[in-house]
Amino acid sequence: MNATKKRVAVVLLTLILLFATFGAPSIAQTTRGGADIAVVVHPETPVSDLSLSEVRQVLLGERQYWNSKLPVVLLIRAPVARERDVVLRVIYQMSEAQFKQYWVAKIFRAEAASPPKIVYSNDMQFELVSGIPGAIAFMDARNIRPGLKVIRVDGHLPGDKDYPLH
Amino acid sequence: MVRALLIFGVALLAASMSYAQNSTPTDQTEQVRVLLERVQQLEKRVTELEARQAQPQAATISAANEPTAQQLPAPQPAQAPAAAGPGPGQHQHEMQEQAATVQQMETHYPSLQIRGFGDVDFSATDLKGTTSGFNLGQLDLHLASALSRKVTYFGELTFNAHPTDYTVEVERNIIRYDYNDYFKISFGRYHTPIGYWNTAFHHGAWLQTTITRPDIVRFGGTFIPIHFVGFLAEGNIPSGGAGLSYNVGVGNGRGNVIFRPGDAGDNNNNRAWVANIYSRPRRFYGLQMGVSGYRDKITLMGRDFREWIADGYLVWTKETPEFLAEFVNVNHRQVLTDISTNSQAFYVQVGYRLPWFDRTLKPYYRYEYTHTPLSEQVFTNQDLQGSTIGMRYDISNYAAFKAEYRYTKREISNPWVNGFFFQTAFTF
Repeated sequence: MNATKKRVAVVLLTLILLFATFGAPSIAQTTRGGADIAVVVHPETPVSDLSLSEVRQVLLGERQYWNSKLPVVLLIRAPVARERDVVLRVIYQMSEAQFKQYWVAKIFRAEAASPPKIVYSNDMQFELVSGIPGAIAFMDARNIRPGLKVIRVDGHLPGDKDYPLH
Repeated sequence: MVRALLIFGVALLAASMSYAQNSTPTDQTEQVRVLLERVQQLEKRVTELEARQAQPQAATISAANEPTAQQLPAPQPAQAPAAAGPGPGQHQHEMQEQAATVQQMETHYPSLQIRGFGDVDFSATDLKGTTSGFNLGQLDLHLASALSRKVTYFGELTFNAHPTDYTVEVERNIIRYDYNDYFKISFGRYHTPIGYWNTAFHHGAWLQTTITRPDIVRFGGTFIPIHFVGFLAEGNIPSGGAGLSYNVGVGNGRGNVIFRPGDAGDNNNNRAWVANIYSRPRRFYGLQMGVSGYRDKITLMGRDFREWIADGYLVWTKETPEFLAEFVNVNHRQVLTDISTNSQAFYVQVGYRLPWFDRTLKPYYRYEYTHTPLSEQVFTNQDLQGSTIGMRYDISNYAAFKAEYRYTKREISNPWVNGFFFQTAFTF
């Protein structure tokens, strides 16, 4: 093996090691196929367009009121549901463990009184969002039903090319 | 000839068929007609459903965003009796079920939640006069209870092991009224909102990466007042992408025992105040930075001191990496003599959640430094410098093992001390 080949081999090995160390996709970078996830709220909620960072603010419990009379009621699907997976990956950018720890800490810091409410099915989610004023949830866009308000995220609706939640 | 016979045969067959058809009873013809109509209706219905399913999502969504009464067309029994919607009885039943689900999930008041934190520790150092061994750490109970949509109670109690007994301490006792996101007011006993660590981790060792808190916010320490009794206003500041928030409070300040707040009343006729402003820029999710100020008058053995604490911090809360840095300056000025002293302290901590083993491992390092001048009259000497290097292993979502090596030195005349520390911390 001549010097040039050795050098190339060393460079390749270094690149492989660098990729193995730093190139592993982060939680936020991992992408999976599937339909868009719509942000849905109770029809009387006074918002119709939020940026992704505003959605994140709501989900992190940093924004707890839509207005002074209407508190935010966070609903999130139980583990394993794809909707939860997308919310954790794109919005929270946390693993399941980090998400649980985040809410334990949030309540411990007296910043919130309770964690998001867990919902176990789309039907239940639909019933709660359409029944509780101020409720916000995340739903597979194919399962959207009348009786919910779909929020634009960064100006896009599910199905749009640049819609961020999928 | 053959062709003529063939044509004749076909004509005969057609004639016989035609005859046979003409002789079909009228009721059968009617049945066929009805069936054909039915098939046409069903085909139309299938086409409608297929078209609806194939609609772009945007169309469905815009339909969902329309007022409820104008949404999906009502079932059309005349067109598709078999595919008709639920009858009034079934619809009522569904409505009742929905109301029950909503009622079940709505918060009922008061809604008390209790969470506990605990830790068991082991320490071994080469500091002369100390012994190695286990200790129980703190058993911490946290209470949170929504009393109404806008009123919430928070409490924190600790049980602490001492050589001869246990003590129970009310660490926090807060009732808060939320007007909206911009204004929340509370009364009670808090962890003083100076800097980051003191209000981020409280008494739950499981929440913090390391085994112990930095020395400047050590429980029982005096560098900053850990607790505060009074009232606090807090909330977000409309600031767009800057994500500003504030805490402003007035309270009793330090008590006769300087590391305790005036739980049972102020020891002088002067209130302390605290202000904290911090930013969580929306563009840099995970970043938080802030500044705090604290002003008090301390009365110690008949002498009055003005205390002025200034704090600044910068943290990156994501764990890949985690970065915490905080600096504090404590100024004491004796009222009578006007002699002023400044004590400084800072810590820098970095950690990184490794991508392997289900992200359960997190190595970390912390450097901390505290300096109190010899002329300081309120504090005893608190000089410290040292490094901590360790590893946290999250054995489950709610429990962790931590192992640390510390190399520290207090005061110039003291020797450097090596120490190994282990902890299992958990929440339940």
